[in-house]
Amino acid sequence: MKRSWYAAPYGLWMVLFTVVPLLFVLYYAFTDQSGAFTVNNFVKIASPMYGLVLWDSLRLAFFCTLLCLLIGYPTAYFLASRDFSNAQTLVVLILVPMWMNFLLRTYAMMTLFENNGVINTLLESLGLQRIQMIGTEGAVLVGMVYNFLPFMVLPVYTVLKKMDYSVIEAAEDLGASPVRVVSRVVLPMSIPGVVSGITMVFMPAVTTFAISRMLSSGMIYLVGDMIEDYFIAMNNRNVGSTISLVMLVLIILSIGLLRKVDPDNSGGGLW
Amino acid sequence: MIDETRLIEIKGVSKSFGDTQVLHDIDLYIRKREFVTLLGPSGCGKTTLLRILGGFEMPSTGEVLFEGKDMTGIPPYKRRINTVFQKYALFNHLNVFDNIAFGLNLKTPEQLGCKSRAEMKQEVARRVNRMLKLVKMEGYEKRSTNALSGGQQQRIAIARALVNEPEVLLLDEPLGALDLKLRKEMQLELKAMQQQLGITFIYVTHDQEEALTMSDTIVVMNHGRIQQIGDPKGIYDEPRNAFVADFIGESNIIDGTMLQDDLVRFSDTEFQCVDEGFAKNEPVDVVIRPEDIMLVGEDVGMLRGVVESVIFKGVHYEMIIESNDCKWKVQSTTMQPVGTRVGMTIVPYNIHIMHKMPVLKEA
Repeated sequence: MKRSWYAAPYGLWMVLFTVVPLLFVLYYAFTDQSGAFTVNNFVKIASPMYGLVLWDSLRLAFFCTLLCLLIGYPTAYFLASRDFSNAQTLVVLILVPMWMNFLLRTYAMMTLFENNGVINTLLESLGLQRIQMIGTEGAVLVGMVYNFLPFMVLPVYTVLKKMDYSVIEAAEDLGASPVRVVSRVVLPMSIPGVVSGITMVFMPAVTTFAISRMLSSGMIYLVGDMIEDYFIAMNNRNVGSTISLVMLVLIILSIGLLRKVDPDNSGGGLW
Repeated sequence: MIDETRLIEIKGVSKSFGDTQVLHDIDLYIRKREFVTLLGPSGCGKTTLLRILGGFEMPSTGEVLFEGKDMTGIPPYKRRINTVFQKYALFNHLNVFDNIAFGLNLKTPEQLGCKSRAEMKQEVARRVNRMLKLVKMEGYEKRSTNALSGGQQQRIAIARALVNEPEVLLLDEPLGALDLKLRKEMQLELKAMQQQLGITFIYVTHDQEEALTMSDTIVVMNHGRIQQIGDPKGIYDEPRNAFVADFIGESNIIDGTMLQDDLVRFSDTEFQCVDEGFAKNEPVDVVIRPEDIMLVGEDVGMLRGVVESVIFKGVHYEMIIESNDCKWKVQSTTMQPVGTRVGMTIVPYNIHIMHKMPVLKEA
């Protein structure tokens, strides 16, 4: 038996659950509800309302990625440093939340942020004012960062961990102060990991759904939520497919852009 | 050539990692423009000593003086010392030019004697190109370091260190990864560079031939202690103990007894030698180089034996000859077939007598 046959089960899976659905998306995007060919779906979603939702999604995803990078990079750097021996334990601690479904995690966040939730109860018992958190962009952002942070830490950690320590010594040897070792060697050499991390956070963050709905009680409406609504609440798979298709194209374009920064995909990303 | 000024002085340096002591009370001075090799088997502490000089490790006790000033606690980036690392450690996010320019680009225009950034850029380019010429890598400026062979990467690593015009260049087994022929070429080139630039080289290797080829001074180390310091000829001809004799070149090391000045007994035979100052009947190590044993007719030899094995080594034959329960390694350009009875003679000045060492080798 040829080795390529070993991948046959997955091949079948992929055809059934990736290729065929994609073809459906393509088909529905270009037809109306009676099944006739049309480009009206695209005309419809070219309106400012949809643009606004897309803008909110991109904006939140951008800030989510930025926060993940700002929190995740120093964490990864610390974990990968040589004189830190408990790294393995901490890596596991970072991974633990990933072992739970993201909906469960988000429900947990809800109980923290709710008006009668853990944080507000705590504030009250300290004699402070309650804060309205659910429904704010801040809450959604925290929820997103919480969900996506491990996807930033891991690729950066992997790249930093693989870095030959003698390269850092070589930079010091050539006259680089500790600050310059980081800015001229460590940062540039870890770019592949950063690119990987950005891809793995930003892409899924753009199409976030449920997190936004749950933590904003529906006040913040993102592209992901909109697609869900079209398919389920409104039973209009044509417009839903059209939005999905547009998002897919946008995502493929941005992956292409990121590839330019890291041409040989040395960051070991999943994309 | 070598200036008599002591550039670096290492005084009573010891180093421990946890419970393991890797350097014991090292005393050593290095002169200006000297090519010093730290030679020893792996784990002898030579690399640790080099890393202390580079500033990557701090001595547990003792001090290191650079031009008379204590260097302890000064970080690597403030030392006028550069290092060529064992695994090259090139910056693979930079091309060849930017790798070599790395150290210069960290300086201010004034430090390079320039008035402006633009002028500095030209000066950097001029110095980098001079280095590329020195290491014979002209035309490789724009190449990625990943696309270079091991030998080429090594040349870039050397250029990257030398472009900063250090007082001292440290080299940590820089030729270890290269094939034999390339290694021999690079040995000669490194030696030529060192003489041309007049920089002090401190070179770490476990390859005794490399040490003999390049060095002004060889420091033989074992188990974290200096065994002998001397020039290549001195170390080879007059090893101070059996370890050095065994490590540098090939040797027959036999147990013997010093009967009196200039008279030693080994292999049940008395021999004239040229060593004095031993106690009467002191047990000693007798060291004789394989090429110093002459094969003669059985009846005229000082020792008689039977050829046990013969190996052809190119320039010479290497024979193992058994005589009075001793096995002698003998090198000769004429071959004696296995089983031949031969005589051996050794002239007095080729017999080297050494005090027994408390620990010769550890498994």
